[in-house]
Amino acid sequence: MSRRFALAAGLAALAVVALCVMPLQAQAQTKLRVFSGGQNQRPDLMRKLFDQYQKANPGVTIDIETGGATSELQRQYLSTVLNAKDPAIDIYLIDIVNPAQYYGAGWLEPLNAYVGEPATALKSYLPVYATSNVVDGKVAAMPAFADAMFMYYRKDLLAKHGVAEPKTWDELAAAARKIQQAEGNPNLQGLSIQGAPIEGAVCTFLLPYWSQGKNLQDASGKLTLDRAAAAKGLQQWLSMVDSGVIKKNVAEVKTPDTVNEFKAGQVVFAINWSWAWDRFSDDADSKVKGKVGVMPLPAVAGGKSATCVGGWQWAVSAFSKHKADAARLVQFMSAPAASKLLAAEGSLLPTTPSVYADPEVLKAVPWFKDAAAVVVTGRSRPLSRDYGQVSDVIRTTTSAVLARTKTPDDGVAEIGSRLARVMR
Amino acid sequence: MKLMDPRGLRFIAAAIVVLNGFFPALWILLTSLKTEAELVAKPISYLPHNPTLQNYVQAFTDQPLLRYLGNSAMVAVGSTVLSLFVAALAAYAIARLNLKRRQLILTCIVASSMFPLVTLLVPIFETMRTLGLLNTYTALIIPYTVLNLPVCTLVLVSFFHSIPKDLENAAMIDGCTRLGALWRVVLPLAAPGVFTAGILAFVNAWDEFLLALSLNSSASMRTVPVGITLYQGEFSFPWPIISAALIVAIVPIAVLIALFQERVVGGLTQGGLKG
Amino acid sequence: MAQHAWFDRWRDPSEKTLGVLLLAPAFLLLALIVVYPIGKLIFNSFFDLRLSGGTGAKFVGLENYALVLADVDFWNATKNTVLITLITVPGALVVGLGLAMLANLPFKRQWPVRLALLLPWALPLSFAGLIFAWFFHTEYGVVNDVLRRLGAPEPTMWLLRPNWAFAAICGAIIWKTSSFMALILLAGLQMIPKSLYEAAEVDGASRWQQFVAITVPMLMPSIIVALIFRTITALQTFDIPYTMTKGGPGNSTETLAMLIHKTTIDYLDVGYGSTLAVCMFVMSMAITAVYLRRVGQSA
Repeated sequence: MSRRFALAAGLAALAVVALCVMPLQAQAQTKLRVFSGGQNQRPDLMRKLFDQYQKANPGVTIDIETGGATSELQRQYLSTVLNAKDPAIDIYLIDIVNPAQYYGAGWLEPLNAYVGEPATALKSYLPVYATSNVVDGKVAAMPAFADAMFMYYRKDLLAKHGVAEPKTWDELAAAARKIQQAEGNPNLQGLSIQGAPIEGAVCTFLLPYWSQGKNLQDASGKLTLDRAAAAKGLQQWLSMVDSGVIKKNVAEVKTPDTVNEFKAGQVVFAINWSWAWDRFSDDADSKVKGKVGVMPLPAVAGGKSATCVGGWQWAVSAFSKHKADAARLVQFMSAPAASKLLAAEGSLLPTTPSVYADPEVLKAVPWFKDAAAVVVTGRSRPLSRDYGQVSDVIRTTTSAVLARTKTPDDGVAEIGSRLARVMR
Repeated sequence: MKLMDPRGLRFIAAAIVVLNGFFPALWILLTSLKTEAELVAKPISYLPHNPTLQNYVQAFTDQPLLRYLGNSAMVAVGSTVLSLFVAALAAYAIARLNLKRRQLILTCIVASSMFPLVTLLVPIFETMRTLGLLNTYTALIIPYTVLNLPVCTLVLVSFFHSIPKDLENAAMIDGCTRLGALWRVVLPLAAPGVFTAGILAFVNAWDEFLLALSLNSSASMRTVPVGITLYQGEFSFPWPIISAALIVAIVPIAVLIALFQERVVGGLTQGGLKG
Repeated sequence: MAQHAWFDRWRDPSEKTLGVLLLAPAFLLLALIVVYPIGKLIFNSFFDLRLSGGTGAKFVGLENYALVLADVDFWNATKNTVLITLITVPGALVVGLGLAMLANLPFKRQWPVRLALLLPWALPLSFAGLIFAWFFHTEYGVVNDVLRRLGAPEPTMWLLRPNWAFAAICGAIIWKTSSFMALILLAGLQMIPKSLYEAAEVDGASRWQQFVAITVPMLMPSIIVALIFRTITALQTFDIPYTMTKGGPGNSTETLAMLIHKTTIDYLDVGYGSTLAVCMFVMSMAITAVYLRRVGQSA
């Protein structure tokens, strides 16, 4: 009888001890869930960084959830989940155009309490983030990796026909025309840009506009559209179509199309994101290995070179149950050390100017030396709580103008009237 | 003339139907054997230059495609069975019982399909989250059943209508209950309708995207249509790999249809109906 | 019947009780999945609920509906949607009926024909759109390649001209949905007793007369069922135009469902999106009410 009593008491004691210890351990273990994008957002490299963080912070485990391979699919998923105020995910990796809209919708936690005021928090990063990640004086997101549109060109063809790197759009059109005629290949495109109604078409509209030195919005976010300049910009593309530099069905061209065609050797100049470089130089079926150069985008005569900035940002969900831990992880992921790893191993553009000059990074990705000059001229697309609408108006109308179903003047007038309602 | 005789005409007829149905599938199949560079070749190449199975290998290794197939199968089978069950009961009530407001009931059931799914997404998500069902098979089976209910019910109502009541009455005189008559007499006679409704429900559930994207987002519970969108990236759209995944996604349905198309042909109807 | 299965042991309840029992599962499921969302939808349509505004919902009564009636985009989308419905519903019916009758002919091996009949329906809708977009691509599309081989001088930019894009979209939709129609019609054809045709042969009726006098009337219930759903889904056309042209060029191929999708997901304007959805429902109801009456009345 006493033996059984002792056994029962011993088990009870064990149970009590276990019950006391277990909740302590459970309290110490925080699980963070991160929503990362698809393959192009390199969840494998993010996993490496998360593992580093987990080692340094034993109380935290990080789960990655992939999904939404494109910005569009991501938005479809996040609209539902964040609309329903779902607390399941703590950190989101979002496109650079989204912080303003998602913060405005109340989905993102302001990070000022964790990273400091915008002036200090974003001081060491590329200048564009000071505007694109800050909404109403609050830091809405921290940079993960940068991106920009580059002008890729066939340096072998330019050398062969004695053409210098064009500095203005007119020079580029002339250079392309000269090379096309000299090569005599009917399938050779002079310049490849994206004219399909995708997000990249917003950049297609803005690039010639910006290179005339114009702004689409003032500091307060109000629309400041210079209609003549915008029409001139669109007309610039159309005259290149007329002279055969750009192909007639440019309104069908999406980002992968430009990359595939340039890779197959069918294009002289191409505007595309930084991802394209590795495709041109590393892919097994690339016909342009070692023949590709990169340069800043041309300007109009008397204007300034400007490029469209891309890249992705880390944001903390406003519905997260572990905001402090999430913010700390976000700080880690946006630090220069993380940027260095992503640059060296994934060729993802760094978010801090200092990393571009880092010798280890340059050893792994030599072309970043040229890239730095371009990224610094980067400007952000319109910052607006209604970016979804702004983007839709600009990209649909630009594509329609490039498809010649609208004249540049009509298209610009429509953009002006629709955006005036939204960007007040 | 050989062309005009019945066998020749039938061959042409078969050729038309087969060509119409198969040509995109054939295109996808051919694409799945090519490399991406071949796709921008001019003039366009139909047959692959160097057929390769690499795309299929990548389709299975880039993502857990087998897992997705399993998930889709569970969800599709589950919702089809449930749809047919619920729809059969409801259709019998509408078609056979003398209910006063059966027109209204049928209209309500059909009306539920008149709202675009995108506007119902968030409330359905909230419901599933409250019930703790997110990322389970049930989370998809129940909405898919509801999505298929109108079609299945209406098809079955129409088929039940066309079966004369005499046979059921005969069975009930012999001692069968109404439910027994439904199971033993009506359903077998309406077999073409049942299998048609079943195939429609299965294919709808297999191919559904929006709900699967929102409700079953975790990698282990993902279904095939959502999985296939993940082969692409912000800058890349690898048609060859996606084509391979599409072929893998269509094959089960094709097998199912080939197996069950016999049943859509109601050989059983010939005996039971009076001329 | 000698055997007694479990349901035979139930006593036959009254018609009304039995009706309630049989309809309960359906209505329970509908209540769970559909009633709350539809209720919330209708509720939201009376509010100015824009998530991007950050402020909460503001009650505006019927103002959203007034905005809809004055909205150019709404009328454009409605026009496109109605056009698509008017073209693809009869189109799919005719093609589907033809395919079903061809597939109904006695073949030695039925399964290739039957499979070919149903395969278009099996292809996921979103990818069907992408594939047809590729078929109609100016440079890499099969359509232009065939036309080129037949001697056409210039490649047509199918998806960049509003009318051609519209035609291409309707073609893709008819291709896909004729399969759906054919499936339902084929099942219906199976229910027509061969004896009727045999008797007509004996009476000397031609094939066409047999078709008009026997096939069509006996197939009518199936035709109506197929038409109801084809019409409902035609009014909700989304995937194919979305993946083929994204509504372009401009918004010449934007349908009502695309406008609702854009408003709800891209613009985050939930109130207005709900209003548009209610308008779409009213339209669907008005058009299909006529069909539904016939189904309820038959037999």
